[in-house]
Amino acid sequence: MPMSRRCIPYSPRRRELAETTFALVTTAGVHLRDQEPFDLAGDNSWRLIPGDVASDALMVTHEHYDHRHADQDINCVFPIDRLRELAAEGVIGGVGDKHLGFMGYTQKVRDLYERAAPEMAKVIERSRADAVLLTAG
Amino acid sequence: MLGLPTVLITLLPKVSAEMGPPRAIHPARFTLGDPLGLPDRPDIQRAVLLDALRRWQAREEPGHIWELEYPAYTPDPAVTNNGEIIRE
Repeated sequence: MPMSRRCIPYSPRRRELAETTFALVTTAGVHLRDQEPFDLAGDNSWRLIPGDVASDALMVTHEHYDHRHADQDINCVFPIDRLRELAAEGVIGGVGDKHLGFMGYTQKVRDLYERAAPEMAKVIERSRADAVLLTAG
Repeated sequence: MLGLPTVLITLLPKVSAEMGPPRAIHPARFTLGDPLGLPDRPDIQRAVLLDALRRWQAREEPGHIWELEYPAYTPDPAVTNNGEIIRE
């Protein structure tokens, strides 16, 4: 199924930046050190990353990009500390209580599109977040 | 369901463009693995993040990926997969 045939629906913003809580969702293979690593052969599962996570509690399991920089500083792919700073300064309204990591490498594109991605969207919709910052490795 | 407004930071803009992301930026010449820039360089990370948030706020034309320059960023020669996916 060519994903390019389906464009992402446009969701208008409903708040100003300073009133908006952002969640992070990444395909860079980010997860907690004590969570199960991703299957490098392809994996549509996702890891829930709690809002109060310490950035050094995170790691990357991914074989399709060189993640030595993220290993050194997770903010290279998952800018949780920078987002918290902007929240503290009042630039954004806040940082979400739930973030998501997944690997983004899969042979099961239909499953990703029809099951996994809607599941992830529901998790974020039911969280405190009003908006999402997406990052890829 | 109205959905959540998103903004994407991508280093593979051609791949991302196929999906028509509602709002997106591409930090030009950043090495794959560095979407926010270099480790322990909060100045670069913050600049990229702020640009992404500005794009989020700007009600941009969906599908347009903004290519942005960050002169403070210098690719790390030790990183071997500059713009390439390691294993297909």
